[in-house]
Amino acid sequence: MKRINRVNALPLEEFILLKREVAKRIFAKEFEACRELEKAARSDSEALDSKVPNFLISPLGLILNRVFVVGVVTELDNIGTQGEMWKARIVDPTGAFTVYAGQYQPEASIFFSTVKVPAFIALTGKARIYEPEPGSVFVSIRAEEANVVDEEIRNRWVVDTAEQTVDRLAAFSDALASGYHGEELREYLIERGVSSELAQGISIALEKDVSQEFIKLLRTSIREGLKALDFDGGTGAKADQKEFVLELLKEMGGSKGVDYATFMEEAVARGIPEQVVEEVTRILLAGGQCYEPKIGIIRLVG
Amino acid sequence: MDEKIAPHLEELTRALGDLEKTGIRAEFEKLIAFRVPPDVAKETILRKFGGKRKVLKIKDLSANLKNFELTGRILDLGEKPIRPQEGTNKGSSRLYTGVLADETGSVLFSSWKELPGSVGDVINIKNAYTRVWQNRIRLSIGEQSLVSKEPDSTLPSLSELSGSQTKKLIDIGAMDFSVNTVACVIQFSHREVLVKGRQSRVISGVLADETGRLPFTAWVELPGIDIGSIIRIEGAQIRMFKGMPSVNILNSTKVSQVGPEEAKNLAFTFESAVKDPAPIKIEDINSRESMFDVAAAGNVVSVRPGSGIISRCPECGRVIQKGNCRVHGKVEGIRDMRIKAILDDGTGSMSVMFPRELAEIVYGKTLEEAEQLMFSDVSKDAVYEDLRRFLTGRYLAVRGNASKSEYGISFVAEKAWIPEDDLAVRVVELLRRLGPDEENKQGECSSTGGIYLA
Repeated sequence: MKRINRVNALPLEEFILLKREVAKRIFAKEFEACRELEKAARSDSEALDSKVPNFLISPLGLILNRVFVVGVVTELDNIGTQGEMWKARIVDPTGAFTVYAGQYQPEASIFFSTVKVPAFIALTGKARIYEPEPGSVFVSIRAEEANVVDEEIRNRWVVDTAEQTVDRLAAFSDALASGYHGEELREYLIERGVSSELAQGISIALEKDVSQEFIKLLRTSIREGLKALDFDGGTGAKADQKEFVLELLKEMGGSKGVDYATFMEEAVARGIPEQVVEEVTRILLAGGQCYEPKIGIIRLVG
Repeated sequence: MDEKIAPHLEELTRALGDLEKTGIRAEFEKLIAFRVPPDVAKETILRKFGGKRKVLKIKDLSANLKNFELTGRILDLGEKPIRPQEGTNKGSSRLYTGVLADETGSVLFSSWKELPGSVGDVINIKNAYTRVWQNRIRLSIGEQSLVSKEPDSTLPSLSELSGSQTKKLIDIGAMDFSVNTVACVIQFSHREVLVKGRQSRVISGVLADETGRLPFTAWVELPGIDIGSIIRIEGAQIRMFKGMPSVNILNSTKVSQVGPEEAKNLAFTFESAVKDPAPIKIEDINSRESMFDVAAAGNVVSVRPGSGIISRCPECGRVIQKGNCRVHGKVEGIRDMRIKAILDDGTGSMSVMFPRELAEIVYGKTLEEAEQLMFSDVSKDAVYEDLRRFLTGRYLAVRGNASKSEYGISFVAEKAWIPEDDLAVRVVELLRRLGPDEENKQGECSSTGGIYLA
């Protein structure tokens, strides 16, 4: 009863914030470049209120709090000195997310205590930022819920996330080319069909210098990641060679993984050109189908 | 004391305008009387009345908004005396009620003070708020609202506003009383209902155009009209039912069939209107008060508590706890299964309710199989835990009705399936949008060369 009264007493902005935060789709490369959304960028009455969640903003203007990621968990450690504190690395085609789950995330902690590395997992969590000193920033996810999923779901997540990122890239380039700033830019973008939240995010993001290099790298890794997706085995000669390299990796690697140099020697001996082995390995790494447990060792997922 | 509060009052006047007229000063002094420190009282008042005052159009109104500004033309105005409550020494007061309209819609209002205008005049209201009353949003003008007459307004004239507005189905909402529309009948059936103790026959069905669908009810016969008819409806009444607008065809409503020549110019045909709705972004569902018969797809990001096996009261169907119904007391519960899950597509999220038939399909277990699990496990949440393990992260597409509540969108699913769109096609389109890669150009040349040679 008390709670309902409170809701009625809240002004419009805060009322909306009580709704569930949308779980944003974002690749690791864009995620790790996120920075804290300064409270001053929002209205005073919101900033005064401690209930307002902490938001991060990506270089492309995505404002986020909750995220939904699907990828391969490649490392999992209990780093807690007293009680549990799980630290996990979840790899997507562009990089890796660092995820934490402690005693206040019981559901995620129980999940991490049972999951076997490596595995495809889906996870929701809140983005956290930690800046021990100026210039060194750590962006991570505090896990809420997680589950083991199959490769089909992982592929679909990559395509969904690529679509939303490419939409964002398009809106961002449009904003950059328009020459507008601030409020004018916001209105321009909304006019162009961009959601009001992204329009606000982009107008904030554009106030900082945006590295063209970052955008280029992001585009390249999305492109690579999409090409690496494996639907029903793929098509053509490249797919055959890929299949062969994969089989060989299975044969040689077993459950422990294989030394990359040894693997390369063996593959070349069986008639696969060196650059093909290199490319396939890179694609497999980017696609999350294999990973490096130690430098120089590659191992298949699953 | 006055010296201490004077600067705060000055600041409030700068921020909020005339404090006396709006009663804000009285509110401030009340806080002071309750020993609230003046600077805290100032903050409180600023938070309540100040900040960004939003200027809204009538179509933007939703339940429980506060502190906004609105301009509209009075379409209708009446007053009724309110008897004073017993035990209070207040004299009798008057409540002014009527209808206010702008170019986006019209809304019922009630005012506790006399308005500075009458039917046909345009008024501007600052610090208005909304309440839900009898299933409809009502604009409230309180003691602290500032109402002024706007003699030179560009709002449409009284006759334009009071006539029925012609609208597409998607634009029809709680703010409409009477509308005109052209739509196709895609469902049509007769049913018997009890109205004021009398059995009467009504027609109910579904209308569709290129923008969406809405249910309709006809309280009169519709000769010659059936599934597939494209009809023009003039002066239909909009009523709200379970948060969903419904088109009501009454005696006063004109219904005519659209001829084949005119139908050619419409943006829809029976074939296109009757097609299953394609999934839309959850963001688009979030932005509306309600949507009838829409589809969306996303990930199950959370399975909510209360999912799994539940007990219902045999009398009223309410969910019961520990064998006790809130209304009927101790009852022998009937077991049922349901799933409440958060579906999120990255643009928006909504709470989706899967009733038993769908829950069984989505879960892949029948109620009986789930019961087995419940009895074989010591944990009372065995089914819920199993559901979470099974569903969290999965892709689902749903079709059903969405309506907005205080905590966001609730969606009642009528169909659910696993989306099977072709990822390879989407990847090709994405690669095209990303453009060619510099280092890949060479690769592309050689592959073209290969085709040429072949």
